[in-house]
Amino acid sequence: MTSLIQIIVAFCGSLGFAVLYNIRGKKLALAALGGLLAWSLFLFLGLFIDSEPIRYLIVSMTVSLYAEILARALKTPATTFIIAPLIPLVPGGSLYYTMSSAFSGDLNLFIGNAVHTLSLALSIAIGVVVVAAATHFIMRLRTLKKNV
Amino acid sequence: MQNQFNKIMDIGEQMLICGAEVHRVEDSMQRMCSAIGFTRTDVFIITSSMVVTVYTENENFTQTRRIQSTGTNLEKLHRLNSLSRKICERTIGESELDAEIKHINATKQPPLWIKCLSYFVIAGAFAVFFGGGIVDFACAAIIGLLLCLLTELLEKAMPNKFFIKFTGSFLITLGAYAFMRLGVTNSMDKVIIGNIMLLIPGVGVINSLRDLLVGDSIAGLLRLIEALLLAFSIAAGYFLFVFLMGGRII
Repeated sequence: MTSLIQIIVAFCGSLGFAVLYNIRGKKLALAALGGLLAWSLFLFLGLFIDSEPIRYLIVSMTVSLYAEILARALKTPATTFIIAPLIPLVPGGSLYYTMSSAFSGDLNLFIGNAVHTLSLALSIAIGVVVVAAATHFIMRLRTLKKNV
Repeated sequence: MQNQFNKIMDIGEQMLICGAEVHRVEDSMQRMCSAIGFTRTDVFIITSSMVVTVYTENENFTQTRRIQSTGTNLEKLHRLNSLSRKICERTIGESELDAEIKHINATKQPPLWIKCLSYFVIAGAFAVFFGGGIVDFACAAIIGLLLCLLTELLEKAMPNKFFIKFTGSFLITLGAYAFMRLGVTNSMDKVIIGNIMLLIPGVGVINSLRDLLVGDSIAGLLRLIEALLLAFSIAAGYFLFVFLMGGRII
């Protein structure tokens, strides 16, 4: 039940950001749907993998792939389908607990939280970058082939 | 030629303002210029400035543009992108081009009430997402609404991103604290987190990484540093409130 609620609110959150970033029409629906799929995948992976950063990495790679495919199909920048779907992964909670633990007087707690936040952010980043690099490489190969 | 070059500069400038990655803009500029018939094009772009020189057989033109502010307007970016595609395929005439640019520049941002509604929904949704209940939804959503109005006001009165994030973060901490002291909610953290999601500079980080990756290191680093500073501004707003309350608010 908690998972279902989380998936629904993840969809609402992604939808909200997609509207703010002025995505329209079919692209809006696909961007928000991406958020729903991303969080569903994250929860599903939780059945097999304990480590949050690794799950973040896999989800972020999947979302980037989703974005690159849709971007090619709909002839629009991939950013459109990366940013909104990744919103539920943004470590806002972790960031807040890092800030609040700065006042707890417990240095270890603070450092632990800070490292956790950074590792989540890095996982997302690496996922996005790996897929972007791969696509870039493939597109380059294609143009090279065409020119030969 | 000069006239067409002006238009291409306008298109590139608008792409940057809409939040495109630097790499995308450089690439589009290069393609558009060679499609129009310039023999050589030198493009250098960072997030706040663009310098382009184009050459024909017997003359050359240079233009620079200073980019003052960037936002995220993906619908407009999409239209600019399709236009640049058309220019490269040479399927668009001169008069059509003018009309199209005019049409694109008229792309509207969402109206204020839609923005406020989005802030309302996002803040509420993420308060629930991170484990809050229905009451936390309401508290976070109301603060989200206020945050939207504050942001809108500050963007007009004092367009400094860092200051806006700082004040925003102060406001949401204050709001959540007020709701807790009034006894409306017990989980101030959920209410704050829901709203922090609205402040985190996600677009900046992702675009900067994509730029860094394809070799635009200056542009990528600039954006990355800006995103980090924005995150510090968020923390600073929170810290200020906690210090004012004597170092402990829970």
